[in-house]
Amino acid sequence: MTARVRPGGDGPAHTPTRTETAHGADAGHGTAHGNGPGRRETGTRHGNGPDDGNGTTLGAAPGHDAGPETGTGHGHDAGHGTARPSAAGLRTGTAPVTRPGRGGGRRGPGAGGGRGRLRRSAPHPLRAEWLRGFAPWAGAGLLLALVWPVAAKADQWQGSWGATTYTLSSAAAMISVPFALAAGGWQGGREHRRRTTELRASTARTPLVQLLAAALPLACWLAAAQLLVTAGTLAACAPYASAGGPAYTVFAGNALTIAACAVLGHAAGRAVPLRLTAPVLAIGGYVTVGALGTSRSDVRHLAFCMVQVLGDRDLAVWWYPLVSALWAAGLAAAAVLALTAFRRATALLPLGAALGAAALLVSTGDGLLRDNPLAHRQVCDTSTTPNVCVNGTYPGMLPEVTRALSGLAGRLHGVQNLPVRYEDLWRSPHRGEVQLPNLGPIGWSVVRGKVTDPRRYAWEAAHMLVRPDCGKAPAERITVTDEAVLRWLAPDPAYEKLRASFRASARQERNTKELAKFRAEDTAYARLTAMSDGERRSWLGRYFATADDCHPKPSEVPSL
Amino acid sequence: MNTGPNGRRTSRPARPAPGHRLRRLALYARSRAVPATVAALVCAALLTVWMASRQDTYLDPYRRVPLVALAPLLAAAATGASLHTHSPELDGTSVRRWWPRRLAHLLIVGALAATLLALAVPGHVQEFGAAAMVRNTLGAIGITAGGAVLVGARLSWMPTTLYFSAVYLSASSPRVNNATVVGWLMQPGPQHGAWAAALALFVTGTALCAARGARPEGPRV
Repeated sequence: MTARVRPGGDGPAHTPTRTETAHGADAGHGTAHGNGPGRRETGTRHGNGPDDGNGTTLGAAPGHDAGPETGTGHGHDAGHGTARPSAAGLRTGTAPVTRPGRGGGRRGPGAGGGRGRLRRSAPHPLRAEWLRGFAPWAGAGLLLALVWPVAAKADQWQGSWGATTYTLSSAAAMISVPFALAAGGWQGGREHRRRTTELRASTARTPLVQLLAAALPLACWLAAAQLLVTAGTLAACAPYASAGGPAYTVFAGNALTIAACAVLGHAAGRAVPLRLTAPVLAIGGYVTVGALGTSRSDVRHLAFCMVQVLGDRDLAVWWYPLVSALWAAGLAAAAVLALTAFRRATALLPLGAALGAAALLVSTGDGLLRDNPLAHRQVCDTSTTPNVCVNGTYPGMLPEVTRALSGLAGRLHGVQNLPVRYEDLWRSPHRGEVQLPNLGPIGWSVVRGKVTDPRRYAWEAAHMLVRPDCGKAPAERITVTDEAVLRWLAPDPAYEKLRASFRASARQERNTKELAKFRAEDTAYARLTAMSDGERRSWLGRYFATADDCHPKPSEVPSL
Repeated sequence: MNTGPNGRRTSRPARPAPGHRLRRLALYARSRAVPATVAALVCAALLTVWMASRQDTYLDPYRRVPLVALAPLLAAAATGASLHTHSPELDGTSVRRWWPRRLAHLLIVGALAATLLALAVPGHVQEFGAAAMVRNTLGAIGITAGGAVLVGARLSWMPTTLYFSAVYLSASSPRVNNATVVGWLMQPGPQHGAWAAALALFVTGTALCAARGARPEGPRV
């Protein structure tokens, strides 16, 4: 146990000299006990049992105690045993130190090294709270819990800033917020668990400062874990994203909200210090996020961190995450002030701010999201037939899509009556256009800037050319022709395998009608394949003149 | 050898007073907050019944996924907290071994939690129903018991909470959802890999906790 002695007994409090004294077996808590400002002690300090190095760090600040040896203990220079609180823990003693704590290594060589040998300024009381105890472990735990799902779902967000924003926001809402509430609740019940509530209350700092000194390090560690995962995720997304950028205000708002939730949980844990307070806070966080996040009303915008940006089509307005953070921070500040402020009515001020932010969020509703201007543009490759256009939110995909459709484009080269282009806008195609098969959401057709199955993608693109969006099938003769054309335009081994299994099934069931249809399709395909190139181009030109008609007359469609 | 009322030594062993065994059990239950734990389990079951009373949970089994994840979490947290003792030094002076009591404690509370929660969840048993609830409860208690050995009884909710959160959120990834062992928590019901993972966690955690006991709470508590 260290005590600080002023040289000559009346030196400045901020230049202490350390000497070593001990307080019995349980020496080592970092808080002065029961000596308010102005009270003098002589050479002793009160230990408090569980010699926990991170201490409450809420002891009187240097200079608050006027005595020659002031109880300004900070947890960092206290022992780290695991002795439980006991009556002896609150005794004072003067036995020499026999077992230095962790901080002992930084002391002078040998106990009682003499005044004047070490004249360092005392580390700040918050240092122990920052570096020891529960807060760093909670931050590390949250970091691991965030990394797992974000990494597991990497296929679904790498390459899309919108998907990345949604992944990080949902992770913050479903993992960080409930955990921050629970961890804060656990931290808030610390003094009750250690039976040091009265000891803490006896220190010179105000209750508000005491609470913030214990709560803010945890809040910052949790926010730092969230920001670290965010930074890593953005760095992993950047190489595959070709337009747009990160929504920095969303991530800043998420970090602030998580810190606020930790403080809110701390206040709850301080007010209700039960064994199950922390897990119940976590369950409450899950239930709230689940109930609000899945709601269809505008109340869903009150869910912490749940910025519901789906894909790249929408962007959050810049102030939405910040007002959402104000909603959480206002609640936390109100809870803290209601618990600790000298004038508790001051809690109404942040509560009013929180309610104002909530009212703004709910009343704005869908206006919290705006259209992404990039989503209304597209970039095109005009060297192919039809032209290939991809959405402006991922222009870097154009070469990859063109490559995937190169086989289809080669077979359509020189054919008349084709659509002008494949378009990729969130609207119905105009006349002369067909829809490009979906590139989004990321993780299905496209993963990390690559088309996952080019043959399948080309097969889907070919289907877009032939009677797209037609609900009812045309006459059977036309269906047979369509099938032969599609098989020739974009052969897909997976589809051929599926077709073979259907055929075997029909044969097993002796379904003569289905078998006849398969035979007709094979015959038509064989005729199309046997045509010369010029003959086929001419035939396809006549075929595509009717290919956008859902219900053409059989006589209008050229037969095979 | 005992001394009789008349001062002469007798060979008969002293008979415990009537209700002696019951009093010991009651003392143990009080020291481990077992009544509060049972109350928490009942609350978890009632909460499950209440949340499951929405009609769509009968029709759509995927609506029950949050139930079979959250209720075991609460039950496991209550079970883990019940492993805490305020008098570890006193317990250490006991002449009897503690592992049978810790094992019985975990098995009885685990069985009670699994039964209550299985009865609370509605719908088809094999589609995020009673089977998934029992499996998740046992797995969660296993993780919590292991966590109690590592970080202490009162903080044992933390590993389970973080693990369940991470798996729950990653379940939309096909890689995790198709892996019945890694994603055991989110499997509908009868998958053998999921049951094997949950039972392995339960057996490992319970055995570890029975053998070692919860970690004495130290400076990070």
